[in-house]
Amino acid sequence: VSLQPPRDKLASLADAAALVSDGAVVALGGGLSARLPMALVRELIRQGRRGLHLVGSAHSIDVDLLVAAGAVRRCEESYVGFEQDLGLAPAYRRAAEEGSIEVAESCCATLLAQLRAAEMGVPFLPVRGVRGSDIAGLHPEYATITCPFTGETLIAVPALRPDFALLHAPCGDRYGNLHLEQPYVLDERFASASRTVIATVDELVSTDQVAASGVTIPAHLVTAVALAPFGAHPASCYPRYAYDRDHLREYVSAAQSGPDDLDKYLASYVYGGEDGYQAAVGADRLTALGDWSRSTAAWQEMFA
Amino acid sequence: MSWTIDEWFVVALARTIRPRETVFHGFGSPCAQVAMHVARRTHAPEMVLVEGAMYAINPDPPFIPPTSNDASLSRGAAYSMRFEEFFDAAVRGDVDRMFLSGGQIDVSGNTNVTAIGPAARPKVKLGGGGGGCNLSATIGHLTLWTTRHRSGQTLVEACDFITDIGHRTPLGTRAELGFTGCGPQWLVTELGVFDFPDGRARLVQLFPDVSLAEVRAVTGFPVEPAGDLRAVRPPSVAELAAVRSVDPLAVRRSEFSLRELARVFEPAAGQDCAC
Repeated sequence: VSLQPPRDKLASLADAAALVSDGAVVALGGGLSARLPMALVRELIRQGRRGLHLVGSAHSIDVDLLVAAGAVRRCEESYVGFEQDLGLAPAYRRAAEEGSIEVAESCCATLLAQLRAAEMGVPFLPVRGVRGSDIAGLHPEYATITCPFTGETLIAVPALRPDFALLHAPCGDRYGNLHLEQPYVLDERFASASRTVIATVDELVSTDQVAASGVTIPAHLVTAVALAPFGAHPASCYPRYAYDRDHLREYVSAAQSGPDDLDKYLASYVYGGEDGYQAAVGADRLTALGDWSRSTAAWQEMFA
Repeated sequence: MSWTIDEWFVVALARTIRPRETVFHGFGSPCAQVAMHVARRTHAPEMVLVEGAMYAINPDPPFIPPTSNDASLSRGAAYSMRFEEFFDAAVRGDVDRMFLSGGQIDVSGNTNVTAIGPAARPKVKLGGGGGGCNLSATIGHLTLWTTRHRSGQTLVEACDFITDIGHRTPLGTRAELGFTGCGPQWLVTELGVFDFPDGRARLVQLFPDVSLAEVRAVTGFPVEPAGDLRAVRPPSVAELAAVRSVDPLAVRRSEFSLRELARVFEPAAGQDCAC
C-alpha cells in the first residue's frame, strides 16, 4: 500500500461503503457525541455487512447501531455508551451479556500506541500501564517485555493496522483533503495507520477552500470521499451542527425496549436511505441544530 | 442560604485539587468536571485544567453540556491538545491528578467500569474504561468518586474486574508493577470522604446527615474510621456561587438518585453563613 496519488475520489455513499468487506477490521472516527461517521454506518447496515471487527476509542450510537443490526463480530473500543446522560449502550450491552459479540475492550492510550506502531512501521510499542488490569486478560496478543536499556517490565502491544477507517468531516474536496474541527480524536492516527480510508463530508468544497480552513487529513491518505450532508447526525459536526440529544434519547429508548422497537427505528431511520433519514428526522430539526452559533443562550437552550 | 448534596459533593471533589496542579477528568463525569472549574475559580486559580474529551486547556465554558465532547467545553481556551498530546503528557508524568469513578470501587482503590460478573459472560456489561488502565498507572494522584455508595453495590472488598489500577492488584503493588503515579489519594462519596493510608481506604469525613453505622451497612469492606473522623466542611459562599455559575444546567445532578437530591443543608445554628 502506498500513498494515494492525486485523483478525483468522489464516490456515492453506496459505492464508498461498498469498499468495506464482510469481516473487515473497521476503525470508527470521531468519538462519543462528536463527528461519528453515521452516514457510513447506516449505509453499511443497508448493505447488510456482517462480521465486522470494530476498533475505536470512546463511542456510542455508531457501535450500538451496528451491533443492533447484526453487523458486528468483535468490539475493540475503550468505551461504548451514552455517558451519564443516557447511560449504557443497550444493544452492545445485550450482545455482550448474551455472548453474541466478542468484547475485547481496550484503552485509549493502548490503541494510540498500537496505531502509532503501525504508522511507524514497527511491530509493537511498549505501554507502561495495563499490567495488573484485567483488560490485559482480554488481549492474549499483548506480551510482557523487559526493556533492554532500563530493565523495566512493560507491556508490548502489537501494531494495529485497520483494514478500513471511516471518517466524517465538515468539509473536504473531491481529492480527499479533509478539514476537521477539534476534537480530532484518533482520526489522524486512523488515517495514516489504516489500509483504506473512506471519508464522508457535509460539504464538498474546492481545494483552495479546504486549504484555507486548514487540511487536517491530507488527500494522499484518503481512498474515497462521499458527500453526506448531516453525515454525522445525531452526533455533532461543528461548526455546522450540534449533537441531537433528543434523537439519541429516542434511539436509546427504542434499543432498550427490545427488537420490535429497534426494528421500527431501523425502518424509520436507516432502511430509507440518507434522504429518507433526513426526512424522518425533519428538515426543521436539522436546521435548528445549527442554532448553537446564534448566541450562548441559544446554545445552552439546546441542552436544557 | 441552603445547599444540596450535589453542590456539596462537587465542592468536596474540588478541594482534592491542590494549587498549580495539572488536572484531568474523564468523559461522562459532570461532578468531576464541575469540580475542576470550581477549584480553578476558588482556591486553585493557577491550576492547569484539561477539559475532558475536548482536551482544552483552561477553558471557560459558558455552561456544562450533557456530553463531554461538545464544543462549548473548549470556549475561552487558547489551545486544545490533540488526543495524543494529552495521553503523552499523562504517560510521561506531566499530569498531576485525574478523577476516576466506577461501577465498583474496592478497598485498594481499584475500579471496575468494564463488567459486573464474569467478563466472558457479564451480568452487566458496563461502558468501559476509556483511557483509565494506562492513565491510572502514571498520573500523579487519583481522586476517586462515586455518587452510588448508598446502593451497597459500589464499594466492594474486591472488584469483579479491575479496569483501572489502585494501590494493589492480585499481580502486586504499584511499585512492583513499575507504575510511576502514586495512585488513589481520595475517595469521595455522597456519604463521606476516604483517604488511603497504607493503600487501604480509611473513612476520614462524613456528611453531617450520615452516621458511621449507615456507612458500614453499605460498604463491602470493613470501615476503619480515622481517629479524628470529622464532618465535611460546609461549602463557602464563593464555592457555592462557583458551582452554580459553572453549571447552570445542573448537569451534575444527573449523577445522583432522587433520594440523594432531596438532601438539603442549612448552615449550623449560630452560623450566619457557611464561610
